[in-house]
Amino acid sequence: MPKPRVKVAWFDFACCEGCQIEMTNFGEPFVQLLQHVEPVEFREAMSEKTTERINVAFVEGSFTREADRARLEEIRTRSDIVVAYGQCAVSGGINALKNHMDDYSEAVYGKDCKRPHLDSQKALPVSAAIKVDYEIPGCPMDKAEFIRVVSQLVHGTTRVYQPSYPVCMECKRRETVCRYDDGDHCLGQVARAGCGAPCPADGIPCEACRGFVDNPNEAALAKVLHERGGLPKKWADTKSRMFAANQRGDA
Amino acid sequence: MTTRFLSDGALKQFVQALMAKGPVIGPVARKSRFVFAALEAPEDLRLDYDTTILPPKKLFFPTKQDLVKFDSPSSFSGCVEPKEQVLLGVHPHDIKGIDMSDKFYAANIPDSNYLAHRAKTTIIGSNVQKHYKHAFFGSVCRELKPQGHDMFLTRLKGGYLVEVRSKKGEELLALGKFEPASREQAAEAEAVNAAAEKNCPEKLNDTSDSVREKVRASFGSDIWNELSRDCFSCGSCNIVCPTCFCFDVQDEWNLDGVSGVRSRCWDACLVSEFSEVSVQGGSENFREERAERYRHRFMRKAVYLNDALGGPACVGCGRCSGACTADIANPTVAINTIMER
Repeated sequence: MPKPRVKVAWFDFACCEGCQIEMTNFGEPFVQLLQHVEPVEFREAMSEKTTERINVAFVEGSFTREADRARLEEIRTRSDIVVAYGQCAVSGGINALKNHMDDYSEAVYGKDCKRPHLDSQKALPVSAAIKVDYEIPGCPMDKAEFIRVVSQLVHGTTRVYQPSYPVCMECKRRETVCRYDDGDHCLGQVARAGCGAPCPADGIPCEACRGFVDNPNEAALAKVLHERGGLPKKWADTKSRMFAANQRGDA
Repeated sequence: MTTRFLSDGALKQFVQALMAKGPVIGPVARKSRFVFAALEAPEDLRLDYDTTILPPKKLFFPTKQDLVKFDSPSSFSGCVEPKEQVLLGVHPHDIKGIDMSDKFYAANIPDSNYLAHRAKTTIIGSNVQKHYKHAFFGSVCRELKPQGHDMFLTRLKGGYLVEVRSKKGEELLALGKFEPASREQAAEAEAVNAAAEKNCPEKLNDTSDSVREKVRASFGSDIWNELSRDCFSCGSCNIVCPTCFCFDVQDEWNLDGVSGVRSRCWDACLVSEFSEVSVQGGSENFREERAERYRHRFMRKAVYLNDALGGPACVGCGRCSGACTADIANPTVAINTIMER
């Protein structure tokens, strides 16, 4: 008799839902995954909702409104495993760009800026509100990595290997000409790998969309971005805020 | 040793003849750099290259290599299938690097995957026509002469002096229009190669033995903190090194939870997870500080492997210096600084 399918649900918080879209772009691997998992809630792809026990909850988006805490806690309470996926959920992502500013509201929302649903605080990772068991970083998250992590989870493996080294390793392994050798700048030295370094291979600097490695050398990064990458000093100092604002020393 | 002369026109025809027999891997341009890649046409071959991003080791051990495919716990099959290949245009110092790799992978438990690829490869070296900006092969690893290759080409006016180095190399002579070489041409080739060593843009100031002892004695010195201050622990210096040989093995499971593949890829002692080990349910890092990891690379190359090999595990290619965006990996700068203290 086949094993019962694992009940999974997707939930989103402050994000563009691009990672969910990425999921529906899966094609064949996702169809295969459905042999092992049973989606019980997935706003981007189905209208049903659930209040039942969930085996694996996938949470997307950052935690940026205190009001969302209760909803996150409720998800945590009825889920065996919580997976934060996409960089917003993992580190606060691009939303955290606002964390060092307090004067953006009117510029962004104009006359609507005082409406209550726009009232938000610092953009934080999901782990700032609840315990997260696994993280799948990236903006958007990597489809192959998602499948790899989830296939291990549904088969009961508790230890999932994800590289903690920087993107430079992946560029070197595929012999990509270093952006710095091309007269450009790059964040690959401090960016968490696992994506396979597609951007530098296409001639685009790494923006560290999977966040920082553990213990990034931020001082050296600012120095190299300025001295070798040619970025103005202030820009070099703040460059890594794009996806790693909450992981920086000044967060 | 047999020597011959191969004219420029005859080289093209020779490369064509090699390509007709199987893959020929040589230096080809990639943007502003060069890489070893299978030639699609003889014109792709760039014997005037300065250096390649990765060393030729990748031809025997790809940066990521599938080892075993498994369908179930009892059904698995190896997936390394070496094929005959010609590696053309390897610089003398990279030949030394291959020679060291051969020793590393044959020692202890022989690495049959590496050795099988190596055995199927014919190596044709070529002289350095243009120096990489960080090359210092003239002042390091002088104890070791290039060996293990089958043929060697040195650029002369109008063609190449050809040295035949093995029986495999001897057999290649049938594939091209090789002319007799004069004693003068042989002497000229020798001078060309000696000049390449002498004219390296960078230089180690001291002998391998004195470097080994001074670096060994510096283990507890504060200099490692100083030298590694800007280190990203990114591992680039390891990955581009012709004498680094560490790798990581991972199993990847397919969605069915039964089948999958075991593969390995090049690893780097500069990155933090390299020295992370499982200890009683938790994990421990035995080189937690970046200075310790930075120091370890120099200890390996200049001291520990020197003890084992009788010379440093560095051939002076300069790839690490160029790959380091923080510009702190350069062995000539680091070693010369340590020696001056």
